[in-house]
Order: sequence, then structure tokens, then C-alpha cells
Amino acid sequence: MTPLLELEAVRRVYDMGRVSVEALRGIDLAVAEGEFLAVVGPSGSGKSTLMHILGCLDRPTSGAYRFAGTAVAELTDDQLAELRSRAIGFVFQTYNLLPRTSALENVATPLLYQGVSRRERLARARAALERLGLGDRVDHEPSELSGGQQQRAAIARALVTEPRLLLADEPTGNLDTVSGAEVIGVLHELNAAGMTVVLITHDADVAEAATRQVHVRDGRLVA
Amino acid sequence: MNVAELIRLALSRLGAARLRAALTMLGVIIGVASVVALVAVGQGATSGITSRLQGLGTNLLTVNPGASFSGFTRGAAGSATTLKLADADAIARLTGVAAVAPQVSTQALVVAGTQNTTTSVVGTTAAYATVNAFSVWQGSFLTDPVVEHGLRVAVLGATTADTLGLDASAIGSTITVNGLPFEVVGIMQAKGSTGPVSQDDQVLIPISTAQGHLVAGDSVRSIGVSVATADQIEAVKASIASTLDQRHGLAAGATADYSIQDQAQLLSTVGEISTLLTVLLAGIASISLVVGGIGIMNIMLVSVRERTREIGIRKAVGARSRDILAQFLVEALTISLIGGIIGIVVGVAVSAVIGALAGWGFIFNPLTVVAAVGFSLAVGVVFGVWPARTAARLDPIVALRYE
Repeated sequence: MTPLLELEAVRRVYDMGRVSVEALRGIDLAVAEGEFLAVVGPSGSGKSTLMHILGCLDRPTSGAYRFAGTAVAELTDDQLAELRSRAIGFVFQTYNLLPRTSALENVATPLLYQGVSRRERLARARAALERLGLGDRVDHEPSELSGGQQQRAAIARALVTEPRLLLADEPTGNLDTVSGAEVIGVLHELNAAGMTVVLITHDADVAEAATRQVHVRDGRLVA
Repeated sequence: MNVAELIRLALSRLGAARLRAALTMLGVIIGVASVVALVAVGQGATSGITSRLQGLGTNLLTVNPGASFSGFTRGAAGSATTLKLADADAIARLTGVAAVAPQVSTQALVVAGTQNTTTSVVGTTAAYATVNAFSVWQGSFLTDPVVEHGLRVAVLGATTADTLGLDASAIGSTITVNGLPFEVVGIMQAKGSTGPVSQDDQVLIPISTAQGHLVAGDSVRSIGVSVATADQIEAVKASIASTLDQRHGLAAGATADYSIQDQAQLLSTVGEISTLLTVLLAGIASISLVVGGIGIMNIMLVSVRERTREIGIRKAVGARSRDILAQFLVEALTISLIGGIIGIVVGVAVSAVIGALAGWGFIFNPLTVVAAVGFSLAVGVVFGVWPARTAARLDPIVALRYE
């Protein structure tokens, strides 16, 4: 069976004028559908760059990345946006909810770019928020929610499009241990329900939650 | 994303920053309002001037003598003495001519009792009142027998009568013109001035009397011709021209020693001038519209920078560049369109007030409104595109990291 994500000798070089920085130096990785993978590495190891490539926000400088069999390097910016819209949900360390916008509108935003009608958008966003236990917080703006609630709202936003991949970048980084454990618990449940989850973290304890771990150091995977 | 979604997004955003949106709109409001108001004022002034000109007399042609020559030097137009009373009589016999009023004029000292004034004394015939749409307020106008016999009678313009302290009781009294006694037979109805020359400040006397006592020679200064109907004007002009050519012995193609002006010509000239002025005013006003547009651009650029992270988030969750472009463009358009509509309302109100004060009434031109809406949308597009492109081109990774 074809893996959902497949990287072959992926390199990513940032051209910074006179110097060029090689953030990824040849990554080979395959992630199967339904897997819960943790990508672990210290800051500066290249794990954020790897996350951008996995999330189709960026393209490899060389090497091949196939998402569900599609060669990502050959897609245009609009096609990448389309792929993100349909197949990938993001959870960020800093939540990245739209300020001065209710939780419901925040969660409904990805559906706007799929051309879903407003009525259906709001219904699906409400259902996603209820699934994450925020059914009584739909009209609250991010500033009126706790960190843990904001992160759960962000997860609801990632899930509302029913993506094939949930990509979480340090999702517990800004949370206290209790809220952090809650969020990890949510990721666990989602994975148990069949969602492919890739968790990026520098925290070995957090990585324990995953069923498989890979370690990144200096742009390479280490055993 | 459809347009309704984009407008909803733009409105909720503007609602979140009301003061900023209102101040940004103010530039467009002032621009559109001044364009609408100034165009309306220009058109009001044009129709005001036109209706006054029409008051000068309808279907009026004026025949003036051409320039005199001394040696090879051409004198001023009207300085020639080629136009004679007999020419006026000949014109009066042409078909389509309703009335003919030849005129001579001079400046003279007019004295009534202890009051005096120096004003223009016009020698003319009984037809003058018909030709120039003039009516008598008191007494009577010059009559054919009076003109024929060269009697020393005078009809005073309303202003002149006022200056001399004469009223209705002055009919039958005597005034002097350059020392010659004249009997006052009538006072004219006030007509209002057109330009610098007032038709109310003059003394009308029989043309025969004027030629006998006040002006030298037998030439006339001008001949006013009233044409029976408007559609005969061109034909009458042509027949006057051929009559005068014949009488003055002009070969075909020779320079005419007279000119024929018609009211329609004057009206269209005035119309052209005031249209030019209206365009000029609108041009000046549209500078403020451009300034308003730059205000929109400024705010949108600030907004793009402030919302860099929002743009990054939207792109990460699936917005394409054109979605972001459309969002910011529609936001700029919404500001300019709302501003434009408010500007139209303000402009129409201002022009109604000015129209009421100036007395030409309320002039509403739907074309101006259409143009103003179009203009403000154009301003939104022109000044919104750059910020929107800036937003659309942001790299999602960079935008997400932006603090």
C-alpha cells in the first residue's frame, strides 16, 4: 500500500544572499495512513522546515515529496493551497486563531475557501467545536478563551475540513502541563479514530504519545 | 469565494475598525461631494445665464457694420459707417422678418431738474420694443409718427429714471439731453442686466431725432432684426446677406462690410464657455478624489502589514493568492463605494442649497451620479490593487512567523 507521505532525499536550501543555509540535507521518510508519528529534534535541527514541507507550505529544493501519490514539487502555489485546503489540518504552537473573530467563525474559515455555503460552514464548525468540548464557547473571541481552549479551537479548525493529515507543530509548547496533556489526549483520540497525525516537538515526553518517533538533527534523520 | 462572502468579510472588518473606516471614507466623501456639487453648480449657472440671454429677445439677429479701413489699416469691427437707415428699410421688406429696429447711440449728459447723469442715448424706432422683448412700465413707447417727424421725445430706462429721481408722475415733464429739451413719454419696465451693459440704463429717442441732433452722419450703429419663427433664422440670415451685398455693391467672395450675429450663436458660445468652466471645476474637485484614493491606499497598506499574520493563517488553511487579493480589493472597494454614496448625498444636498440661494433651482443630473459612483469604484480599484497584491504575494511561512 502506498504511504500517505513519502519523502526521498529531500533537501531544502535557503538562499540568504551571500550565504546559503542547508536546513534539510537529505531526508527519506514514509508515513502510512493512520499512523501517529512524532518528529523530534532540538531547535535549529530543521524540524520546522520539515513541517513546512510536509504541510505543503513550502517545496523541497531537491528530492521528491509525494502526498498521497501526488508529486508536490510540481504543483503551483494555487494547487498547493488547494491541497492544504482539502487534505491537511494545521495546529500551531501559538494557536494562530484570527483575532477579534469568534471561535465559530475561526473554525468555519477553512470551509470558506472550499466554497461551502455559509449555513453549512457554521453547522460543521459548531459540530467540530462540540466534538472538542467547546460547544458553550462558540461565540467567544480568542482573547476570551484560555490557552487550552484556544488550542482546542485550533484543532477544531484543523478537523473541520476532515483532512487526511493532521500536522501539529509544538501544540503543547505554550500550554501548562494539564492543558498540554489534554491536547495530547485529543490527538490520541483522533488517531484512534483513524486520522494520520504528525506531531513535531522538541519535547521527548510529548513525543512519547506517538506510536513512532523519528529524530532530526542538523537536517538529517538519526536513528 | 463569491462576492457576497467577500462583501460580508469586508463589512465585518470595517465594523471592527469603525473610526478608521469612517476617516478613510471621509476623503472619498469630500472628493465625490465636491465633484457632484460643482458640476451641479456649473450646470445651474449655465441654465441661469441661458435663460437671461433668451430674455434679450427671441429669434433676434443683429446686423453690425464691419471694420473701417484707413489706408491699409483695418479699424475695429463696427467702426465702418457703411450701414445706413435705407439698409434697415430694405431688410424690413424681406420675407420672414417680423420687425426691424435700427439703432444709433452716443453718450450724452441727461438732466432732469436738479439731477443729472451721463448715460447712453439710443436713437431707434418703434420696433425696438418688439425686437428686444422690452415693455413699457409707464406712459408709451416711441411711435411711428413720432419717429417719422423726428420729435424730441424720450423713453427712459428703469435705472436711468431712478437715477434722475423720476417716477410715473414724470410722464410729460421735460428733460434735457446735451442741452436739448426732450419730453418724457414713457419709462421702461426693468429688465435686469446682462453682462456689463445694462439695458435699463439708457434713454431711447427717435432715430431721426438722434441723427439730426446728436450723432454725425446717416449711418446706423446696428440693426436689430426679429425673425418671425426660429426655423426661418438661417434663411433670413442668408437673404439679409444677399440684400446687403447687393446694396453695398460687393462682388461675390469680397469681404463683407457687415456682420450678422444671431442669438443662437451667442447662446451656444456661452454654453461652450460654461461647459468648459464646469469641466474645469470638476477637474479641480477630482483632485480631492485622488487625495481620498491615496488615503485608502495608505490605510490598506497599513492594514496589510498589521494583518500579515492573518494572511498567513488564511493561506495555511487553504486560501489561494487570488482569494486574498479579492478580500483586500473588495475591502478597498467597499470603503470607496460607501464613501461615494455618502458623497453623492452630501453633494446633491449642497447643490440644492446653492441652487436655492442662487435662484436657478435644484438641478439633478443622474449622469453625474453614475459618473461619481463609477469614479469612486475606479478609485477603489486603482488605489486598492497595490495593497491587495502585496497581501496576496506574501509567503505563508514568512507571514505566519510575522510578529
